[in-house]
Amino acid sequence: MSLKMKRSLWCWLALSPLVVVILFPFAVMFFTALKPAEEIFVYPARWLPVQWRWENFVDMWTAANFGVALRNSTVISLLSTALALSVSLPAAYALARFPFRGRGVYRQFLLVTQMLSPILLVVGLFRLAAMIPYGDGNLVDSKIGVIVSYAAFNIAFAVWMLSSYFQTVPRDLEESAWLEGCSRTKAVFKVFLPLAVPAIVVTAIFTFINAWNEFAVVYTLIRSPENKTLTVQVTDMVAGKYVVQWHLVMAATLCATLPVSVVFAWLQRYLVKGLALGAVK
Amino acid sequence: MSRPASLRPPAPWLLIVPSLILALFIISYPIFNIVYQSLHEVSRFGAIRDFTGLKNFFTIFDDPAFLDAMRRTVVWTLFVVGGTVLISVPVALVLNQDFHGRGVARTIIMLPWSVSLTMTAVVWRWAFNDDYGMVNVTLHRLGLIAGPIHWLATPELAFPVEIAVGILVSIPFTVTILLGGLSSVPGDIYEAARIDGASAWQQFRKLTLPLMRPFINMAILLNVIYVFNSFPIIWVMTQGGPDNGTHILVTYLYELGFRLGRPGEAAAVSLIMLIMLFVFSMVYLRIQPKSSGEAA
Repeated sequence: MSLKMKRSLWCWLALSPLVVVILFPFAVMFFTALKPAEEIFVYPARWLPVQWRWENFVDMWTAANFGVALRNSTVISLLSTALALSVSLPAAYALARFPFRGRGVYRQFLLVTQMLSPILLVVGLFRLAAMIPYGDGNLVDSKIGVIVSYAAFNIAFAVWMLSSYFQTVPRDLEESAWLEGCSRTKAVFKVFLPLAVPAIVVTAIFTFINAWNEFAVVYTLIRSPENKTLTVQVTDMVAGKYVVQWHLVMAATLCATLPVSVVFAWLQRYLVKGLALGAVK
Repeated sequence: MSRPASLRPPAPWLLIVPSLILALFIISYPIFNIVYQSLHEVSRFGAIRDFTGLKNFFTIFDDPAFLDAMRRTVVWTLFVVGGTVLISVPVALVLNQDFHGRGVARTIIMLPWSVSLTMTAVVWRWAFNDDYGMVNVTLHRLGLIAGPIHWLATPELAFPVEIAVGILVSIPFTVTILLGGLSSVPGDIYEAARIDGASAWQQFRKLTLPLMRPFINMAILLNVIYVFNSFPIIWVMTQGGPDNGTHILVTYLYELGFRLGRPGEAAAVSLIMLIMLFVFSMVYLRIQPKSSGEAA
């Protein structure tokens, strides 16, 4: 026991510099978000607020147009996750269950889509959106364009995660269902999918977070304030402003970040298994 | 099993086709369009004029800002990926130990991944503020600096700061891949090595490292792709400035295309970047099976 205590001490000591650097921005966010405006630009600045001002969050809500941005982020992330999963699920099942020809080619293709990040294609992506008519304009400044491109760029991640988990679902269960006269398709829905639900949920959440955090595509495709997402909204509060209201900006980043971080912290252990196996196999 | 074999071959393809169509739809037209724009004169409002051949490429290569950005991209990728791997390997080894509070430690190390790069960059931009940022405040309190350092106003400092932020946000992903690799290393081989009298360093060099090789290789490849394409950190922290001193290719590409109104040249930069990435990946994947073959 004391040996483990000693080892724990060393391990934490070794990790401590990194832990400090990682927690540093969270502390900055938290303490700045609670300072009154007059305390932001005082020299010499101090870490803790003298007066803790929780009303900052109320002010931020209107200043950042937070409600609208929150709704946009949620809608875009939810729909793109749904679309990405609906095409990735069958593909992942095929990769996990059938030794078909072209499997390697398909995996290479997924790697290539990872390489073509949205930012490299952004000039062409913008043109694509401008070309497709929608309503009385085109897909520039519409959520649909963003949703579809998020879904497409998340396929590789979703297929990797899902197929490596699907491989761990025992095949025998499905096979015995066939023997009992269940059709192949029915066996998938009755036997396989219920067992795969945890994997699907985990993948969905990470796809959601990816979409939630994305910047370059919305920044390019979305113009009007009523369609902007949280990442763009927060950037707009900082970029090109002569005086930045940092206390409100930090309140906004904190509100946009914290819920996602909590969910992520709770689920991160599933990533270790899913990603590592999916990436190397 | 009882199904006739003739029914089987098309099934996997049918399952894969929807994902292929969606991915190809989003990727193929933009690629075609980038090639097309790069070979034409394009007005700042996007009107395509005459076919100009490789003129956009010549303009780009005559542009000192582009050449600087190219050089800086190599430095950026090299340092961020190198630093990330150098820090992540020991961190993953420590996190693979059995110690009190390991769950908490893992969670903390993973945290930067959950935060949007944009938000991270916004927070660090504030933290590195000259007079009121907490970095200078903390360093000053600790007695490490006498007066405020102008971190983001000096290109020689701003770029290393951005590299450090880049490393910080790349660690979680890399540690994740490496932990996955470590969990597949059987524990009993270490026992055998200890009985044979191998030192901890020898165990690391001769057992851990070779077994981790495929995972490290994968982490390097994916990180190079992600870091090479990484846009928000530099765009939000310095917008490529001061004095164009922190532009890498992606930020320069964005500035050309959407700020300076030179979409044709932006398309040319995109294309050059695609070729660079493609060549790198091909070369890297070509070497990889050999090295993991040695390890096995």
